[in-house]
Amino acid sequence: MGPTLAPMSQTTTVAPVSTGIDPSKIGQLASQLDSDDRGREAVFDVEGLSVSYSGALALDGVSLEIRKNFVTAFIGPSGCGKSTFIRCFNRMNDLIPGAVVEGRVLYHDRDLYGSNVDPVEVRRRIGMVFQKPNPFPKSIYDNIAFGPRVLKLTKDLDERVERTLRHAALWDEVKDRLSENALGLSGGQQQRLCIARALAVEPDVILMDEPASALDPISTSRIEDLIHELKREYTIVIVTHNMQQAARVADMTAFFSVEVREDGTGRHGTLVEYDRTTKIFTNPSDRRTEDYVTGRFG
Amino acid sequence: MARLEYQASLDSLESDLQEQGEVVLRAVRGAINALETQDVELCDEVIAFDDEIDERYHRIERSIGQLLAQQAPVASDLRLVLAVLHSSIHLERIGDQSVTVAKLTKLSAALEQHTELVEGLCEMGARAAEMVRRSLDAFADRDVAGARELVDLDELIDRTNRAVVDKVLAMSAPGMQEWGMRMIVVARCIERIGDNAVDIGEQTEYLVTGEFHEFSDASH
Repeated sequence: MGPTLAPMSQTTTVAPVSTGIDPSKIGQLASQLDSDDRGREAVFDVEGLSVSYSGALALDGVSLEIRKNFVTAFIGPSGCGKSTFIRCFNRMNDLIPGAVVEGRVLYHDRDLYGSNVDPVEVRRRIGMVFQKPNPFPKSIYDNIAFGPRVLKLTKDLDERVERTLRHAALWDEVKDRLSENALGLSGGQQQRLCIARALAVEPDVILMDEPASALDPISTSRIEDLIHELKREYTIVIVTHNMQQAARVADMTAFFSVEVREDGTGRHGTLVEYDRTTKIFTNPSDRRTEDYVTGRFG
Repeated sequence: MARLEYQASLDSLESDLQEQGEVVLRAVRGAINALETQDVELCDEVIAFDDEIDERYHRIERSIGQLLAQQAPVASDLRLVLAVLHSSIHLERIGDQSVTVAKLTKLSAALEQHTELVEGLCEMGARAAEMVRRSLDAFADRDVAGARELVDLDELIDRTNRAVVDKVLAMSAPGMQEWGMRMIVVARCIERIGDNAVDIGEQTEYLVTGEFHEFSDASH
């Protein structure tokens, strides 16, 4: 195993949240946050993060903090860079040829992109769930046991599988068919299985990229209930196109927008506003946020 | 501009509130006019007119229920919907106060009166009507400063209300007591109309700023 990151329990000094857009707004924004939020440990501290693909800027200069045991939602129109941004938290962009990440991402005070950091260990601590459920074509049991086996966490594996499935609110539905192929589950069950699979290796953070957009309303509600449950133990970051979903599940919401460059060289994503979800959905500070959340965008 | 139907519903909701305001103002002015002229028929009209006010309030409430269920308004749209709902309730209560004034005027019509006191009450009523007018204008214009000025106007009404009580207590003629007691309640109703206008002003500030503050504390 490669070098490990700082222990999950390590605490950090929390600086005020910044928007990454207008430094003069930073103080104003921080003052809007409850003192409880400011005292909450920051899991990620992102400073001036830019991402480009083969030289084309996709996301420009984002700074924000993700706080422990909060659900943080990223919303914004297509092309605003929210999925690009969430992929920076577990170095998924490393896997895309031509992707360049600049700026700084501190995870519990350690540079996530430091030369001594093992991306595999990063992805164990920072799990990810994608838009489309992607269970392995294996049994339900083996889907959950896969990660622990790779990491040699095979002691009491049955208990671990059960505990994880219970955690993902799936146990009662699958306990009698653990040996059946996971692809036989419904879409919503498959997605909860994927969440369980991420939980099985005891992560610190769960990243969710549109986790319910392919699901029906009842399955979506189950995922949202699960998110509420999981935030007691995990820090959750979610990208969603569904603004009401962000309003329902998130403690903090970041609104990203698309900025067209004046010199005509293209467009890129940018962070417009980051604040308590209640603030974003009742009294946003920026006109662009207001236009987007009220549906006046475009 | 996207969501044209939605925007049309919000615009219509706001114009419904202003129309309710106009109807309520007619009730306030009618009640004060009836008090001034001791017009029992006009009192009956004001009392009967309250159904119209109630119906307009319920119509606004139904529209808001539909908007919340179907459009899930957020941000300034949500604030508008909430502010319209609260303001509509305040207007409905102003209508109720006008009815009480009309009923008491009717009950007191046969009693001996204190002309000077009636004139004072009518002046107080005109000020209250002016406050309602201004509260509706401030809401329509998103005029927070104008909304806050309602507090000063309300202070004048409160002062007159206290003076009415003092005057009634000073009345020594035995036949005046019943009339005086009723006029204390009339003054109280007019004073409440002023308070409700201030409440609408507070909704205007909430609508514009997203922050709700009582303009004056309870001891005021």
